[in-house]
Amino acid sequence: MQNEGIIELKGLTKRFGEIVVLNDISLTFEKGKTTVIIGPSGCGKTVLIKHIIVLLRPSGGEVYFHNQRIDNLDEKELGKVRTQMGFLFQSGALFDSMTVLENVAFPVRQHTQIKDPDKIDELVKMKLTLVGMDGFQNYYPARLSGGQRKRVALARAIALNPEVILYDEPTTGLDPIRADIINELILKTQKALGITSIVVTHDMGSACKIGDRIIMLHNGKVLVDGNADTIKNSTLPEVQRFIKGEVSEKDLEGLQVSFEDIKIDDKK
Amino acid sequence: MDRELMAQTKNHNHGNTIVQDLGAATVKTIGNCGRFSRFQADSLVASVAACLRPETYPLIWNQMLAIGVKSVPVVMITGAFVGMVLAIEAFGQLSGLGFEEHLGVLINLSVVKELGPVLAAIMLAGRVGGALTAELGTMNVTEQILAVRSMGTDPIRYLVAPRLLACLLLTPILIVYADFLGVIGGYLISVPYLGINGRAYWALSASGVELWDITAGIAKGFFFGAAIAGVSCYKGFHCKEGAQGVGEACTEGFVGSFILILAIDFFLIVILKAIYESIWPIKLLL
Ligand SMILES: Nc1ncnc2c1ncn2[C@@H]1O[C@H](COP(=O)(O)OP(=O)(O)O)[C@@H](O)[C@H]1O
Ligand SMILES: [Mg+2]
Repeated sequence: MQNEGIIELKGLTKRFGEIVVLNDISLTFEKGKTTVIIGPSGCGKTVLIKHIIVLLRPSGGEVYFHNQRIDNLDEKELGKVRTQMGFLFQSGALFDSMTVLENVAFPVRQHTQIKDPDKIDELVKMKLTLVGMDGFQNYYPARLSGGQRKRVALARAIALNPEVILYDEPTTGLDPIRADIINELILKTQKALGITSIVVTHDMGSACKIGDRIIMLHNGKVLVDGNADTIKNSTLPEVQRFIKGEVSEKDLEGLQVSFEDIKIDDKK
Repeated sequence: MDRELMAQTKNHNHGNTIVQDLGAATVKTIGNCGRFSRFQADSLVASVAACLRPETYPLIWNQMLAIGVKSVPVVMITGAFVGMVLAIEAFGQLSGLGFEEHLGVLINLSVVKELGPVLAAIMLAGRVGGALTAELGTMNVTEQILAVRSMGTDPIRYLVAPRLLACLLLTPILIVYADFLGVIGGYLISVPYLGINGRAYWALSASGVELWDITAGIAKGFFFGAAIAGVSCYKGFHCKEGAQGVGEACTEGFVGSFILILAIDFFLIVILKAIYESIWPIKLLL
Protein backbone atom coordinates (compact mmCIF):
# COMPACT_ATOMS: atom_id res chain seq x y z
CA MET A 1 0.00 0.00 0.00
CA GLN A 2 1.16 3.48 -0.74
CA ASN A 3 2.18 5.51 2.30
CA GLU A 4 0.73 8.96 2.76
CA GLY A 5 2.83 11.57 0.99
CA ILE A 6 3.49 14.67 3.07
CA ILE A 7 5.43 16.66 0.48
CA GLU A 8 4.99 16.40 -3.23
CA LEU A 9 6.93 17.95 -6.10
CA LYS A 10 5.21 17.98 -9.47
CA GLY A 11 7.30 18.71 -12.54
CA LEU A 12 9.61 21.01 -10.58
CA THR A 13 11.86 23.03 -12.90
CA LYS A 14 14.31 25.75 -11.92
CA ARG A 15 16.31 27.94 -14.26
CA PHE A 16 18.84 30.62 -13.36
CA GLY A 17 19.00 32.67 -16.53
CA GLU A 18 19.87 30.16 -19.25
CA ILE A 19 21.08 27.43 -16.92
CA VAL A 20 18.58 24.71 -16.10
CA VAL A 21 19.43 23.45 -12.62
CA LEU A 22 16.35 21.30 -11.98
CA ASN A 23 14.57 19.75 -14.92
CA ASP A 24 11.02 18.48 -14.45
CA ILE A 25 11.43 16.64 -11.15
CA SER A 26 8.45 14.83 -9.67
CA LEU A 27 8.81 13.24 -6.25
CA THR A 28 6.64 12.31 -3.29
CA PHE A 29 8.15 12.29 0.19
CA GLU A 30 6.55 9.90 2.64
CA LYS A 31 5.52 10.76 6.15
CA GLY A 32 7.79 9.58 8.97
CA LYS A 33 10.52 8.38 6.63
CA THR A 34 14.02 9.63 5.98
CA THR A 35 14.62 10.38 2.33
CA VAL A 36 18.16 11.13 1.25
CA ILE A 37 18.99 13.03 -1.91
CA ILE A 38 22.51 12.49 -3.14
CA GLY A 39 24.51 13.85 -6.02
CA PRO A 40 27.81 15.54 -6.75
CA SER A 41 28.49 19.11 -5.63
CA GLY A 42 26.81 21.70 -7.80
CA CYS A 43 24.11 19.37 -9.13
CA GLY A 44 21.31 21.40 -7.54
CA LYS A 45 20.65 19.66 -4.24
CA THR A 46 20.52 22.88 -2.25
CA VAL A 47 18.31 24.45 -4.89
CA LEU A 48 15.94 21.47 -4.67
CA ILE A 49 15.68 21.47 -0.90
CA LYS A 50 15.12 25.23 -0.79
CA HIS A 51 12.12 24.76 -3.06
CA ILE A 52 10.51 22.41 -0.55
CA ILE A 53 10.26 25.28 1.97
CA VAL A 54 9.79 27.80 -0.87
CA LEU A 55 12.86 29.87 -0.12
CA LEU A 56 13.19 29.72 -3.90
CA ARG A 57 10.23 29.88 -6.27
CA PRO A 58 10.07 27.34 -9.08
CA SER A 59 10.38 28.41 -12.73
CA GLY A 60 7.87 25.68 -13.51
CA GLY A 61 5.96 22.99 -11.66
CA GLU A 62 4.35 22.86 -8.24
CA VAL A 63 5.15 22.09 -4.62
CA TYR A 64 2.55 20.56 -2.29
CA PHE A 65 2.57 20.23 1.49
CA HIS A 66 -0.24 18.16 2.99
CA ASN A 67 -1.91 18.29 -0.44
CA GLN A 68 -1.99 22.09 -0.31
CA ARG A 69 -0.15 23.93 -3.02
CA ILE A 70 2.46 26.15 -1.37
CA ASP A 71 4.74 27.47 -4.11
CA ASN A 72 2.25 30.19 -5.04
CA LEU A 73 1.50 31.44 -1.52
CA ASP A 74 2.69 34.88 -0.48
CA GLU A 75 5.38 35.27 2.18
CA LYS A 76 2.87 35.88 4.95
CA GLU A 77 0.94 32.68 4.29
CA LEU A 78 4.20 30.82 3.84
CA GLY A 79 5.21 31.90 7.34
CA LYS A 80 2.65 29.50 8.81
CA VAL A 81 3.73 26.66 6.55
CA ARG A 82 7.38 27.23 7.39
CA THR A 83 6.81 26.94 11.13
CA GLN A 84 5.83 23.33 10.43
CA MET A 85 9.19 22.67 8.81
CA GLY A 86 12.72 22.98 10.14
CA PHE A 87 15.53 23.85 7.79
CA LEU A 88 19.14 23.09 8.66
CA PHE A 89 21.35 25.26 6.47
CA GLN A 90 24.55 23.95 4.96
CA SER A 91 26.43 26.69 6.82
CA GLY A 92 24.28 26.47 9.95
CA ALA A 93 23.30 30.13 9.49
CA LEU A 94 23.21 30.79 13.22
CA PHE A 95 22.67 34.43 14.15
CA ASP A 96 26.16 35.49 15.12
CA SER A 97 24.99 38.48 17.14
CA MET A 98 23.02 36.20 19.44
CA THR A 99 24.02 33.57 21.98
CA VAL A 100 23.18 29.91 21.52
CA LEU A 101 20.27 30.38 23.91
CA GLU A 102 18.85 33.31 21.94
CA ASN A 103 19.34 31.47 18.67
CA VAL A 104 17.33 28.46 19.77
CA ALA A 105 14.76 30.66 21.50
CA PHE A 106 14.27 32.80 18.39
CA PRO A 107 11.53 30.74 16.68
CA VAL A 108 9.87 30.13 20.05
CA ARG A 109 9.69 33.84 20.82
CA GLN A 110 8.47 34.61 17.32
CA HIS A 111 5.74 32.03 17.00
CA THR A 112 4.48 30.93 20.40
CA GLN A 113 2.80 32.64 23.31
CA ILE A 114 5.52 31.44 25.69
CA LYS A 115 6.86 34.66 27.19
CA ASP A 116 8.10 33.52 30.61
CA PRO A 117 11.93 33.51 30.42
CA ASP A 118 12.19 30.48 32.72
CA LYS A 119 9.92 28.46 30.49
CA ILE A 120 11.94 29.47 27.43
CA ASP A 121 15.18 28.55 29.19
CA GLU A 122 13.73 25.17 30.03
CA LEU A 123 12.55 24.55 26.49
CA VAL A 124 15.91 25.57 25.04
CA LYS A 125 17.71 23.35 27.52
CA MET A 126 15.57 20.42 26.43
CA LYS A 127 16.34 20.97 22.75
CA LEU A 128 20.03 21.46 23.41
CA THR A 129 20.17 18.30 25.49
CA LEU A 130 18.67 16.43 22.56
CA VAL A 131 21.62 17.47 20.38
CA GLY A 132 24.18 17.15 23.20
CA MET A 133 24.86 20.86 23.49
CA ASP A 134 23.40 21.67 26.89
CA GLY A 135 25.71 23.96 28.84
CA PHE A 136 26.66 26.09 25.85
CA GLN A 137 23.70 28.47 26.27
CA ASN A 138 25.80 31.57 26.75
CA TYR A 139 28.33 30.93 23.98
CA TYR A 140 28.33 32.98 20.81
CA PRO A 141 28.43 30.95 17.56
CA ALA A 142 31.92 32.29 16.74
CA ARG A 143 33.28 30.36 19.73
CA LEU A 144 31.84 27.01 18.62
CA SER A 145 33.41 24.45 16.30
CA GLY A 146 31.78 23.53 12.98
CA GLY A 147 30.14 20.41 14.33
CA GLN A 148 28.86 22.20 17.42
CA ARG A 149 27.35 24.93 15.25
CA LYS A 150 25.51 22.35 13.17
CA ARG A 151 24.15 20.76 16.31
CA VAL A 152 22.93 24.11 17.65
CA ALA A 153 21.41 24.85 14.26
CA LEU A 154 19.61 21.51 14.48
CA ALA A 155 18.32 22.40 17.94
CA ARG A 156 16.99 25.66 16.48
CA ALA A 157 15.40 23.83 13.55
CA ILE A 158 13.49 21.50 15.89
CA ALA A 159 12.57 24.19 18.43
CA LEU A 160 8.97 24.39 17.20
CA ASN A 161 8.55 20.60 16.94
CA PRO A 162 8.20 20.63 13.15
CA GLU A 163 6.65 17.81 11.17
CA VAL A 164 9.41 17.87 8.61
CA ILE A 165 13.12 18.60 8.92
CA LEU A 166 15.17 19.48 5.88
CA TYR A 167 18.90 18.94 6.23
CA ASP A 168 21.29 20.51 3.77
CA GLU A 169 24.61 18.64 3.87
CA PRO A 170 24.54 18.03 7.62
CA THR A 171 27.81 16.06 7.68
CA THR A 172 29.87 17.98 5.13
CA GLY A 173 33.04 19.50 6.46
CA LEU A 174 33.09 17.39 9.62
CA ASP A 175 35.57 14.67 10.57
CA PRO A 176 34.18 11.10 10.36
CA ILE A 177 33.43 10.86 14.07
CA ARG A 178 31.60 14.19 14.27
CA ALA A 179 29.81 13.30 11.04
CA ASP A 180 28.63 10.07 12.63
CA ILE A 181 27.36 11.96 15.67
CA ILE A 182 25.19 14.00 13.30
CA ASN A 183 24.00 10.81 11.57
CA GLU A 184 22.99 9.38 14.94
CA LEU A 185 21.23 12.62 15.79
CA ILE A 186 19.22 12.51 12.58
CA LEU A 187 18.21 8.91 13.30
CA LYS A 188 17.39 9.81 16.90
CA THR A 189 15.24 12.83 16.04
CA GLN A 190 13.39 10.80 13.46
CA LYS A 191 12.74 7.88 15.85
CA ALA A 192 12.10 9.94 18.98
CA LEU A 193 9.88 12.56 17.41
CA GLY A 194 8.49 10.64 14.43
CA ILE A 195 9.62 13.40 12.14
CA THR A 196 9.78 13.22 8.36
CA SER A 197 13.34 13.96 7.29
CA ILE A 198 14.70 14.99 3.94
CA VAL A 199 18.48 14.97 3.84
CA VAL A 200 20.65 16.33 1.07
CA THR A 201 24.24 15.11 1.02
CA HIS A 202 27.11 13.95 -1.12
CA ASP A 203 28.31 11.58 1.60
CA MET A 204 27.42 8.05 0.47
CA GLY A 205 28.19 6.47 3.88
CA SER A 206 25.87 8.84 5.66
CA ALA A 207 23.17 8.31 3.02
CA CYS A 208 23.22 4.52 3.47
CA LYS A 209 23.20 4.78 7.24
CA ILE A 210 20.24 7.12 7.64
CA GLY A 211 18.19 6.76 4.48
CA ASP A 212 15.01 4.72 4.16
CA ARG A 213 15.02 5.83 0.57
CA ILE A 214 17.84 7.25 -1.51
CA ILE A 215 17.41 9.41 -4.60
CA MET A 216 20.30 10.34 -6.84
CA LEU A 217 20.21 13.57 -8.82
CA HIS A 218 22.19 14.00 -12.00
CA ASN A 219 22.02 16.84 -14.52
CA GLY A 220 18.83 18.17 -12.97
CA LYS A 221 17.01 14.84 -13.23
CA VAL A 222 16.34 11.94 -10.87
CA LEU A 223 18.79 9.22 -11.94
CA VAL A 224 18.05 6.50 -9.39
CA ASP A 225 15.27 6.19 -6.83
CA GLY A 226 15.37 3.33 -4.34
CA ASN A 227 17.21 2.22 -1.21
CA ALA A 228 20.89 1.69 -0.45
CA ASP A 229 20.93 -1.63 -2.30
CA THR A 230 19.33 -0.22 -5.44
CA ILE A 231 22.08 2.36 -5.58
CA LYS A 232 24.88 -0.10 -4.87
CA ASN A 233 23.61 -2.56 -7.45
CA SER A 234 22.95 0.01 -10.10
CA THR A 235 24.92 -0.57 -13.27
CA LEU A 236 24.77 3.04 -14.41
CA PRO A 237 28.33 4.32 -14.79
CA GLU A 238 27.54 7.70 -13.18
CA VAL A 239 26.19 5.97 -10.09
CA GLN A 240 29.12 3.60 -9.78
CA ARG A 241 31.59 6.41 -10.18
CA PHE A 242 29.81 8.43 -7.51
CA ILE A 243 29.83 5.52 -5.05
CA LYS A 244 33.47 4.71 -5.60
CA GLY A 245 34.39 8.38 -5.67
CA GLU A 246 36.09 8.04 -9.05
CA VAL A 247 36.56 10.73 -11.59
CA SER A 248 35.32 10.07 -15.14
CA GLU A 249 37.71 9.55 -18.08
CA LYS A 250 36.58 12.80 -19.59
CA ASP A 251 37.37 14.90 -16.51
CA LEU A 252 40.72 13.12 -16.21
CA GLU A 253 41.61 14.03 -19.78
CA GLY A 254 40.82 17.63 -18.98
CA LEU A 255 43.26 17.56 -16.10
CA GLN A 256 46.04 16.01 -18.18
CA VAL A 257 45.67 18.55 -20.94
CA SER A 258 46.06 21.40 -18.54
CA PHE A 259 49.19 19.88 -16.96
CA GLU A 260 50.81 19.31 -20.34
CA ASP A 261 50.13 22.92 -21.21
CA ILE A 262 51.96 23.98 -18.08
CA LYS A 263 54.93 21.75 -18.92
CA ILE A 264 55.20 23.17 -22.42
CA ASP A 265 54.93 26.68 -21.05
CA ASP A 266 57.75 25.93 -18.61
CA LYS A 267 60.05 24.69 -21.38
CA LYS A 268 59.51 27.87 -23.31
CA MET B 1 28.20 38.59 -52.79
CA ASP B 2 28.52 36.06 -50.07
CA ARG B 3 31.04 38.19 -48.31
CA GLU B 4 28.82 41.24 -48.60
CA LEU B 5 25.96 39.35 -47.09
CA MET B 6 28.17 38.20 -44.27
CA ALA B 7 29.37 41.70 -43.61
CA GLN B 8 25.78 42.86 -43.60
CA THR B 9 24.65 40.25 -41.16
CA LYS B 10 27.65 41.05 -39.02
CA ASN B 11 26.75 44.72 -39.01
CA HIS B 12 23.21 43.85 -38.34
CA ASN B 13 24.21 41.64 -35.45
CA HIS B 14 26.42 44.32 -34.10
CA GLY B 15 23.61 46.85 -34.14
CA ASN B 16 21.41 44.31 -32.53
CA THR B 17 23.72 43.75 -29.61
CA ILE B 18 23.90 47.45 -28.80
CA VAL B 19 20.13 47.65 -28.85
CA GLN B 20 19.99 44.46 -26.85
CA ASP B 21 22.49 45.75 -24.31
CA LEU B 22 20.56 48.95 -23.97
CA GLY B 23 17.33 47.01 -23.63
CA ALA B 24 18.82 44.68 -21.07
CA ALA B 25 20.20 47.62 -19.08
CA THR B 26 16.82 49.36 -19.17
CA VAL B 27 15.02 46.23 -18.08
CA LYS B 28 17.51 45.79 -15.26
CA THR B 29 17.21 49.41 -14.11
CA ILE B 30 13.44 49.25 -14.14
CA GLY B 31 13.60 45.94 -12.31
CA ASN B 32 15.88 47.44 -9.66
CA CYS B 33 13.63 50.47 -9.26
CA GLY B 34 10.66 48.18 -8.84
CA ARG B 35 12.53 46.09 -6.31
CA PHE B 36 13.61 49.21 -4.42
CA SER B 37 10.08 50.63 -4.32
CA ARG B 38 8.66 47.31 -3.26
CA PHE B 39 11.22 47.04 -0.48
CA GLN B 40 10.46 50.55 0.76
CA ALA B 41 6.71 49.95 0.63
CA ASP B 42 7.10 46.70 2.60
CA SER B 43 9.35 48.46 5.11
CA LEU B 44 6.83 51.24 5.55
CA VAL B 45 3.98 48.81 6.18
CA ALA B 46 6.15 46.78 8.56
CA SER B 47 7.24 49.91 10.42
CA VAL B 48 3.71 51.16 10.90
CA ALA B 49 2.75 47.71 12.13
CA ALA B 50 5.76 47.69 14.46
CA CYS B 51 4.62 50.98 16.02
CA LEU B 52 1.37 49.31 16.99
CA ARG B 53 3.01 46.22 18.49
CA PRO B 54 4.60 46.78 21.90
CA GLU B 55 6.66 43.59 21.47
CA THR B 56 8.89 45.33 18.98
CA TYR B 57 9.65 48.31 21.24
CA PRO B 58 12.65 46.58 22.86
CA LEU B 59 14.07 45.90 19.38
CA ILE B 60 13.66 49.54 18.42
CA TRP B 61 15.13 50.64 21.73
CA ASN B 62 18.18 48.40 21.23
CA GLN B 63 18.75 49.84 17.80
CA MET B 64 18.40 53.38 19.13
CA LEU B 65 21.06 52.68 21.73
CA ALA B 66 23.35 51.09 19.17
CA ILE B 67 22.81 53.76 16.55
CA GLY B 68 22.25 56.85 18.64
CA VAL B 69 24.44 56.96 21.69
CA LYS B 70 27.66 56.30 19.84
CA SER B 71 26.80 58.88 17.19
CA VAL B 72 26.42 61.75 19.63
CA PRO B 73 30.14 62.67 19.83
CA VAL B 74 30.76 62.64 16.06
CA VAL B 75 27.63 64.63 15.38
CA MET B 76 28.61 67.16 18.04
CA ILE B 77 32.10 67.51 16.59
CA THR B 78 30.60 68.00 13.12
CA GLY B 79 28.30 70.72 14.42
CA ALA B 80 31.01 72.53 16.35
CA PHE B 81 33.35 72.70 13.38
CA VAL B 82 30.60 73.88 11.07
CA GLY B 83 29.86 76.77 13.43
CA MET B 84 33.53 77.67 13.86
CA VAL B 85 34.39 77.54 10.18
CA LEU B 86 31.34 79.63 9.30
CA ALA B 87 32.34 82.25 11.84
CA ILE B 88 35.86 82.62 10.44
CA GLU B 89 34.75 82.63 6.79
CA ALA B 90 31.79 84.97 7.18
CA PHE B 91 33.65 87.38 9.42
CA GLY B 92 36.13 88.15 6.67
CA GLN B 93 33.35 89.09 4.29
CA LEU B 94 31.03 90.88 6.71
CA SER B 95 33.71 92.97 8.41
CA GLY B 96 34.69 94.37 5.03
CA LEU B 97 31.13 95.72 4.74
CA GLY B 98 30.95 96.80 8.35
CA PHE B 99 28.22 94.32 9.15
CA GLU B 100 30.17 92.12 11.55
CA GLU B 101 27.48 92.31 14.23
CA HIS B 102 25.17 90.46 11.86
CA LEU B 103 27.56 87.50 12.00
CA GLY B 104 25.32 85.82 14.57
CA VAL B 105 22.26 85.79 12.30
CA LEU B 106 24.25 84.43 9.43
CA ILE B 107 25.94 81.67 11.39
CA ASN B 108 22.94 80.59 13.41
CA LEU B 109 20.53 80.68 10.51
CA SER B 110 22.85 78.65 8.30
CA VAL B 111 23.58 76.16 11.05
CA VAL B 112 20.02 75.66 12.17
CA LYS B 113 18.36 75.63 8.76
CA GLU B 114 20.84 73.97 6.46
CA LEU B 115 24.32 72.98 7.48
CA GLY B 116 23.52 71.41 10.82
CA PRO B 117 20.82 69.05 9.54
CA VAL B 118 22.52 68.19 6.24
CA LEU B 119 26.02 67.65 7.55
CA ALA B 120 24.77 65.74 10.57
CA ALA B 121 22.71 63.55 8.24
CA ILE B 122 25.69 62.91 6.00
CA MET B 123 27.81 62.05 9.01
CA LEU B 124 25.09 59.61 10.06
CA ALA B 125 24.86 58.16 6.56
CA GLY B 126 28.51 57.23 6.90
CA ARG B 127 28.44 56.09 10.48
CA VAL B 128 25.01 54.54 10.89
CA GLY B 129 24.22 53.72 7.29
CA GLY B 130 27.57 52.02 6.80
CA ALA B 131 27.08 49.93 9.91
CA LEU B 132 23.54 48.96 8.88
CA THR B 133 24.57 47.90 5.38
CA ALA B 134 27.57 45.97 6.65
CA GLU B 135 25.55 44.19 9.33
CA LEU B 136 22.61 43.26 7.12
CA GLY B 137 24.90 42.50 4.16
CA THR B 138 26.93 40.07 6.24
CA MET B 139 23.74 38.48 7.50
CA ASN B 140 22.63 38.18 3.90
CA VAL B 141 25.77 36.50 2.55
CA THR B 142 25.93 34.10 5.50
CA GLU B 143 22.29 33.12 4.86
CA GLN B 144 21.11 34.49 8.20
CA ILE B 145 18.37 36.51 6.52
CA LEU B 146 17.29 33.38 4.69
CA ALA B 147 17.32 31.62 8.06
CA VAL B 148 14.91 34.22 9.46
CA ARG B 149 12.62 33.56 6.51
CA SER B 150 12.98 29.81 6.85
CA MET B 151 11.64 30.06 10.40
CA GLY B 152 8.51 31.81 9.18
CA THR B 153 9.46 35.33 10.28
CA ASP B 154 9.37 38.23 7.86
CA PRO B 155 12.94 39.61 7.80
CA ILE B 156 11.68 43.06 6.86
CA ARG B 157 9.47 43.13 9.91
CA TYR B 158 12.13 41.71 12.21
CA LEU B 159 15.28 43.38 10.86
CA VAL B 160 14.33 46.44 8.82
CA ALA B 161 11.39 47.96 10.69
CA PRO B 162 13.21 48.47 14.03
CA ARG B 163 16.21 49.98 12.27
CA LEU B 164 14.08 52.27 10.14
CA LEU B 165 12.12 53.50 13.14
CA ALA B 166 15.26 53.98 15.18
CA CYS B 167 16.84 56.10 12.42
CA LEU B 168 13.64 58.05 11.95
CA LEU B 169 13.44 58.95 15.63
CA LEU B 170 17.12 59.51 16.22
CA THR B 171 18.19 61.67 13.31
CA PRO B 172 16.12 64.69 14.45
CA ILE B 173 17.47 64.31 17.99
CA LEU B 174 21.03 64.14 16.76
CA ILE B 175 20.40 67.17 14.58
CA VAL B 176 19.47 69.07 17.73
CA TYR B 177 22.91 68.19 19.11
CA ALA B 178 24.60 69.32 15.91
CA ASP B 179 22.63 72.59 15.92
CA PHE B 180 23.45 73.22 19.55
CA LEU B 181 27.18 72.68 19.14
CA GLY B 182 27.16 74.66 15.89
CA VAL B 183 25.65 77.64 17.68
CA ILE B 184 28.15 77.34 20.53
CA GLY B 185 31.08 76.90 18.12
CA GLY B 186 30.02 79.97 16.15
CA TYR B 187 29.67 81.98 19.33
CA LEU B 188 33.05 80.96 20.71
CA ILE B 189 34.83 82.05 17.56
CA SER B 190 32.79 85.22 17.01
CA VAL B 191 32.63 86.72 20.48
CA PRO B 192 35.67 85.69 22.52
CA TYR B 193 38.03 85.18 19.56
CA LEU B 194 36.98 87.76 16.96
CA GLY B 195 35.85 90.20 19.61
CA ILE B 196 32.32 90.93 18.43
CA ASN B 197 29.97 92.48 20.97
CA GLY B 198 28.22 89.57 22.64
CA ARG B 199 24.97 91.35 23.38
CA ALA B 200 24.54 92.54 19.79
CA TYR B 201 25.48 89.09 18.53
CA TRP B 202 22.68 87.38 20.46
CA ALA B 203 20.12 90.15 19.99
CA LEU B 204 20.49 90.11 16.23
CA SER B 205 20.50 86.30 16.18
CA ALA B 206 17.31 86.15 18.19
CA SER B 207 15.53 88.55 15.89
CA GLY B 208 16.82 86.81 12.75
CA VAL B 209 16.25 83.15 13.64
CA GLU B 210 12.65 82.14 14.04
CA LEU B 211 11.24 79.09 15.70
CA TRP B 212 10.07 78.10 12.23
CA ASP B 213 13.67 77.85 11.01
CA ILE B 214 14.68 75.57 13.86
CA THR B 215 11.59 73.40 13.47
CA ALA B 216 12.06 73.10 9.72
CA GLY B 217 15.68 72.02 10.21
CA ILE B 218 14.76 69.37 12.72
CA ALA B 219 11.76 68.20 10.70
CA LYS B 220 14.10 67.48 7.80
CA GLY B 221 15.75 64.99 10.11
CA PHE B 222 12.81 62.60 9.85
CA PHE B 223 13.18 62.46 6.09
CA PHE B 224 16.96 62.17 6.21
CA GLY B 225 16.71 59.39 8.78
CA ALA B 226 14.22 57.49 6.64
CA ALA B 227 16.44 57.94 3.58
CA ILE B 228 19.54 56.67 5.37
CA ALA B 229 17.82 53.60 6.81
CA GLY B 230 15.88 52.88 3.62
CA VAL B 231 18.87 52.94 1.31
CA SER B 232 21.27 51.22 3.71
CA CYS B 233 18.93 48.38 4.58
CA TYR B 234 18.02 47.86 0.93
CA LYS B 235 21.68 47.66 -0.05
CA GLY B 236 22.40 45.23 2.77
CA PHE B 237 19.49 43.00 1.80
CA HIS B 238 20.49 42.88 -1.85
CA CYS B 239 24.27 42.72 -1.72
CA LYS B 240 26.27 40.29 -3.82
CA GLU B 241 28.08 37.31 -2.35
CA GLY B 242 31.33 37.50 -0.47
CA ALA B 243 33.28 40.10 1.44
CA GLN B 244 33.61 42.12 -1.74
CA GLY B 245 29.85 42.17 -2.21
CA VAL B 246 29.38 43.57 1.29
CA GLY B 247 32.06 46.19 0.69
CA GLU B 248 30.48 47.29 -2.56
CA ALA B 249 27.07 47.45 -0.92
CA CYS B 250 28.45 49.74 1.81
CA THR B 251 29.97 52.09 -0.74
CA GLU B 252 26.84 52.17 -2.87
CA GLY B 253 24.69 52.59 0.21
CA PHE B 254 26.67 55.62 1.36
CA VAL B 255 26.74 57.26 -2.06
CA GLY B 256 23.04 56.56 -2.47
CA SER B 257 22.08 58.01 0.91
CA PHE B 258 24.33 61.02 0.35
CA ILE B 259 22.71 61.93 -2.95
CA LEU B 260 19.24 61.21 -1.63
CA ILE B 261 19.85 63.47 1.37
CA LEU B 262 20.89 66.35 -0.89
CA ALA B 263 17.95 65.78 -3.21
CA ILE B 264 15.46 65.53 -0.36
CA ASP B 265 16.96 68.68 1.14
CA PHE B 266 16.41 70.57 -2.10
CA PHE B 267 12.79 69.52 -2.44
CA LEU B 268 12.05 70.12 1.22
CA ILE B 269 13.43 73.65 0.98
CA VAL B 270 11.10 74.36 -1.92
CA ILE B 271 8.12 72.83 -0.15
CA LEU B 272 8.84 74.40 3.24
CA LYS B 273 9.30 77.78 1.62
CA ALA B 274 5.90 77.48 -0.02
CA ILE B 275 4.33 76.49 3.27
CA TYR B 276 6.06 79.33 5.09
CA GLU B 277 4.90 81.90 2.55
CA SER B 278 1.33 80.66 2.67
CA ILE B 279 1.12 80.94 6.44
CA TRP B 280 3.10 84.19 6.67
CA PRO B 281 0.10 86.48 6.06
CA ILE B 282 -1.85 84.68 8.77
CA LYS B 283 0.99 85.28 11.17
CA LEU B 284 1.02 88.98 10.35
CA LEU B 285 -2.69 89.18 11.10
CA LEU B 286 -2.14 87.58 14.49
N1 LIG C 1 20.91 32.15 -6.76
C1 LIG C 1 21.51 31.54 -7.79
N2 LIG C 1 21.74 32.20 -8.94
C2 LIG C 1 22.34 31.60 -9.97
N3 LIG C 1 22.76 30.32 -9.98
C3 LIG C 1 22.57 29.60 -8.86
C4 LIG C 1 21.94 30.16 -7.70
N4 LIG C 1 21.89 29.22 -6.74
C5 LIG C 1 22.45 28.11 -7.28
N5 LIG C 1 22.86 28.33 -8.54
C6 LIG C 1 23.50 27.34 -9.43
O1 LIG C 1 22.79 26.15 -9.32
C7 LIG C 1 23.66 25.06 -9.32
C8 LIG C 1 23.36 24.14 -8.19
O2 LIG C 1 23.71 24.75 -6.98
P1 LIG C 1 23.49 24.02 -5.58
O3 LIG C 1 22.08 23.60 -5.47
O4 LIG C 1 23.99 24.95 -4.54
O5 LIG C 1 24.44 22.75 -5.67
P2 LIG C 1 24.68 21.63 -4.57
O6 LIG C 1 24.15 20.39 -5.14
O7 LIG C 1 26.16 21.55 -4.37
O8 LIG C 1 23.98 22.05 -3.33
C9 LIG C 1 25.07 25.61 -9.31
O9 LIG C 1 25.60 25.46 -10.60
C10 LIG C 1 24.90 27.05 -8.97
O10 LIG C 1 25.83 27.82 -9.69
MG1 LIG D 1 24.63 22.66 -1.48
